[in-house]
Amino acid sequence: MSLVLQGVASGVVTGCVYALVALSLVIVYKATDVVNFAGGELVMIGAYLGLLLLLWFQLPYIAMFALVPVAVFAVGALFDRITLRKVGGRALAKHVDLVSFVVATIGLSYLLKGAVRVVPFTEEVRRLPPLFSGPPVFIGDVVLQRQDLAIIAVTTMIMLALWLFFERTLLGKALRATSQNARAAALVGVPVSAMRMAVWGLASAIAGIAGVLLAPKLLMTPDMGAVVMLAFAAAIIGGFSSLPGCVVGGIALGVIQNLVGIFISPQAIAVTPFFVIMLVLLFRPEGLFGESLALKKV
Amino acid sequence: MLEVRGIHAAYGAVRALEDVSLSVGAGEIVCLLGANGAGKTTTLNCISGIVPVTQGRILFEGEEVTSERVDWLVARGIVQVPEGREIFPGLSTQDNLELGAWTRRRHNGRAAGLERVYELFPRLKERAAQRAGTLSGGEQQMLMIGRALMAQPRLLMFDEPSLGLSPILVQQVFRIIRRLHEEGMTILLVEQNARMALEVSARGYILENGEVKLHGEAGSLATDPQVREAYLGA
Repeated sequence: MSLVLQGVASGVVTGCVYALVALSLVIVYKATDVVNFAGGELVMIGAYLGLLLLLWFQLPYIAMFALVPVAVFAVGALFDRITLRKVGGRALAKHVDLVSFVVATIGLSYLLKGAVRVVPFTEEVRRLPPLFSGPPVFIGDVVLQRQDLAIIAVTTMIMLALWLFFERTLLGKALRATSQNARAAALVGVPVSAMRMAVWGLASAIAGIAGVLLAPKLLMTPDMGAVVMLAFAAAIIGGFSSLPGCVVGGIALGVIQNLVGIFISPQAIAVTPFFVIMLVLLFRPEGLFGESLALKKV
Repeated sequence: MLEVRGIHAAYGAVRALEDVSLSVGAGEIVCLLGANGAGKTTTLNCISGIVPVTQGRILFEGEEVTSERVDWLVARGIVQVPEGREIFPGLSTQDNLELGAWTRRRHNGRAAGLERVYELFPRLKERAAQRAGTLSGGEQQMLMIGRALMAQPRLLMFDEPSLGLSPILVQQVFRIIRRLHEEGMTILLVEQNARMALEVSARGYILENGEVKLHGEAGSLATDPQVREAYLGA
């Protein structure tokens, strides 16, 4: 029993990271209809930037934690400004070729991986220090690392902040308006392309934070962006359009993975997300939180 | 107040407007009539900065505004009520209205603007917290007009405000247009319903195949035999 509880608790922790990355993907998708295949590399770049700031620039952890999202925000926003705006042409054109956008994001993923590989600093496999170190914490029979608690706390805060931002601020509402009807948003004077840039920045910053949170739990390699597959699974469980859906999807996936590891076989963990994606697409293609597909805009 | 001088526009190789000129004086209602595809919406979109002007000039209050950015033009007071149901369906009615005041977000008086819109459209006040996508077609049209008013327009352009509405709602929309005019608003009205448009307007322009074919006083257009045959069904 305690084994199961432990599995659920650690599942919630990894699920939080999946949820953050899924949020990053879905925010971009909702606002721009682009599936961002560089989402995982933004996580990776966040982790390596964190490492660079800590070890090279010798910054205190808290400063690193504040700077990484800013830097990754800039990466995402510049990618939109420099690449997507060129690829897409006029922001209000009726028929935009989404395939070229998606290919551009694949390009970004290779660019970021390549950039990290050529930095000599990254040849050695390293581990990012955790946000809080110290002895693990016992909650009943369940043991959690301090970093695990930090992950849950930071994820909760980001979700709360996102909710407040999108529901309570005029800028957040303008971003939602742009994703719901870009033409109408332009007509009320919302600068649509600046909004798209802000969305890319915001989503990238979230991915970057996820990287800093995740890196202490893994060995860092330029390929650690593969975690994005789990985020895709989490987003699909949630319907790929709902922010709460991402959170529930991420945590559910984290827990399912651990339970599969305990009850079936540790080897089965790797295929679990794909199996979950298949089940969701077969039986509930709109996801658990998505709107019914028939109601989608025509 | 608005002066359009010989503008041309094209979608790729397809020419949409050729040498269109028109003017709207301060406080005036001017209508722009024509069949489907004559270039009415394109003309409005050129003035709004959505469709690029390839030749010609647009002056607003004596100042060159040709090919300026949409958001700048809205801040300047050129606001369009677009055709169709161009609302933000997932946001509440009130949020839709507040976004109308986006370019005025750093100014005072947004609350007063909202009060005024609710006074014009009491129905929207009842629906304030409701998701705009669940409003009826007529309410959505009211919402778009209200949202445009939130931007404190100096020139208000309507694109087919009566499209798809029941006769009673059409009457209501035109009542609002007339009332706005009486309060001093300058209005450029694009309409398929030529009869009603000529009734509220002082002057009118008739577009055909992207060119201005006729223009004049609304009264004389309404009695012009060509116009009567082509647009008034008489």
